[in-house]
Amino acid sequence: MGLRRIAFALVVLGIVVWAVFPFAWAIVTSLKAGSALFTVEAWPSQPSLANYAAIFKEQPFGRNILNSLMAASAVVALSLGLAVLAAYALGRVRFRGRGLLLFVVLGVSMFPQVAVLSGLFELVRWLGLYNRIGSLVLSYLIFTLPFTVWVLTTFMRELPKELEEAAMVDGAGPFVIVTRVFLPLMGPALAATGLLAFIAAWNEFLFALTFTLTDDARTVPVAIALMSGASQYELPWGQIMAASVVVTVPLIGLVLLFQRRIVSGLTAGAVKG
Amino acid sequence: MAGVTLRGVRKSFGRIEVIHGVDLEVADGEFVAFVGPSGCGKSTLLRLIAGLEEPSAGDLSIGGQRVNDRPPAARGIAMVFQSYALYPHMTAYDNMAFGLTLSRTDKGTIAERVRAAARLLQIEDLLDRKPRDLSGGQRQRVAIGRAIVREPQVFLFDEPLSNLDAGLRVQMRLEIAKLKADLRATMIYVTHDQVEAMTLADRIVVLNAGRVEQAGTPLELYHRPRNRFVAGFIGSPAMNFLDVVSEGRADGSVRVWLPGGVPLDVAVDGAAPPAGTPLTLGVRPEHVGLADGGAGLLATILAVERLGGETHCHAALEDGQRLLVRLDGDRPVAAGERLRLNLRGETAHLFGADGQRL
Repeated sequence: MGLRRIAFALVVLGIVVWAVFPFAWAIVTSLKAGSALFTVEAWPSQPSLANYAAIFKEQPFGRNILNSLMAASAVVALSLGLAVLAAYALGRVRFRGRGLLLFVVLGVSMFPQVAVLSGLFELVRWLGLYNRIGSLVLSYLIFTLPFTVWVLTTFMRELPKELEEAAMVDGAGPFVIVTRVFLPLMGPALAATGLLAFIAAWNEFLFALTFTLTDDARTVPVAIALMSGASQYELPWGQIMAASVVVTVPLIGLVLLFQRRIVSGLTAGAVKG
Repeated sequence: MAGVTLRGVRKSFGRIEVIHGVDLEVADGEFVAFVGPSGCGKSTLLRLIAGLEEPSAGDLSIGGQRVNDRPPAARGIAMVFQSYALYPHMTAYDNMAFGLTLSRTDKGTIAERVRAAARLLQIEDLLDRKPRDLSGGQRQRVAIGRAIVREPQVFLFDEPLSNLDAGLRVQMRLEIAKLKADLRATMIYVTHDQVEAMTLADRIVVLNAGRVEQAGTPLELYHRPRNRFVAGFIGSPAMNFLDVVSEGRADGSVRVWLPGGVPLDVAVDGAAPPAGTPLTLGVRPEHVGLADGGAGLLATILAVERLGGETHCHAALEDGQRLLVRLDGDRPVAAGERLRLNLRGETAHLFGADGQRL
């Protein structure tokens, strides 16, 4: 027994190290300055926040975070709004070709980003969205919508049919049923899918690199990749790591914040006992 | 208030027809129960009246207006669902007020009506609670309250008590009877529990495989079942059926031979079948008595069930046919004993080979 527990603990420890080490290393590196970067130590002997100050002073990092925030928020709002409406139709209304439509929605998400990049670029130019955040919102919907639609459709199907019928007898139309009966019950599903969409949009790199040109519209991942030091021969590792830490912390915070909502069962008491 | 009329109503799901042309008239203020075995179409029929299903053929009118093409909310109905179907995120008050809020009734009227309904159902203290904080019986009251608040012309109940435990069911049954008296509204009530139907309904509609087998008052169905299905469905414990042979007419009744060579004269309405026709004799367990003297039907007791107030004897006749006898009180009978039973022609029923009552 003892041996098994020790083995289990070792496996858990291995997984934790494997998952946490890169991030811990980033934190450590971000606190170092100058040549201290190249010494290996578990905790910097002279920790300094200079790198954190520098990313906001030497780089337009505040602007980049704002851009990311706007793009990701808009993506979450749009994809949840569209997906809830689509999920009602796909999950609740019987019509010919429903299965095919669901499959097509899923199929769209199977294309590699690169495959749609050039076509999307033309579309973005034609819409006049080049180097604007709108181009990112538009392109991110390509990969957030399929899974939000799928998850919410599945969730919507699970909601008891009698609820919808009771609302119909009460005089509710489809829009009222979706917004006033179903939506309040979908909290956990909305939190989970919204969070995933937010993370996907927050971390996206390829579209952001292609569709933006200047710091006015540039988002965090691209900004970090393009960070430059005083000369072209210097990579500001400390600042890059500080920037990485700064943009990861909000995500962890969001996950912790919504964790409870994701788990809770809101439909308790809807039907039977 | 208004009556409900169904004319040749049919319903098919895909190629399968589940309601085969139902004609039914529910009078204004009448309480009608739909009963039948599961899958007989009673819930489907209710959902057709509610407008949650569209009839494949036929006409449906409520209060003299054809309502086939109207949505549920415009039919003047309110429905109480088996699973209650309360909105889980709303308080009891909001659940009851939801329909009125949607129809833009002013707040004062809503509050007035919700309070009145809550008073009637004795749930005034629970109005601020969410459904998950209510017991099964309380949820059911809120669901009924939601129906009352809409002030419908017709109330539709879809097995409203089947999720409650036995004690609560009896209590809620009495309350629904009280509601029926207070509201004087037309009510249609689907149930598979014949006690609910017998005690609550002015009229019972017995359905089987998508057809109306018989519609009538509870006692009409009990005393004069139109066919073997209704005879077996209404009454608990169920009616006994014995295979007998007709011996022809004997002044207004048909004489049949019971197993063991005992004759019985049973009153019939129609023409008597010729002698030698095989028939089915139906007799309720409570209508079988013990014979006083040496005459009567000889039976061997197989098992005895004592309920205190009554004694059920499972007996076998001489030719092996089974018969359940229900005796009042606690009788000193034991398994293996042989008894003489007494059947009376007035309380027995004869059914032809097609299952129809003679």
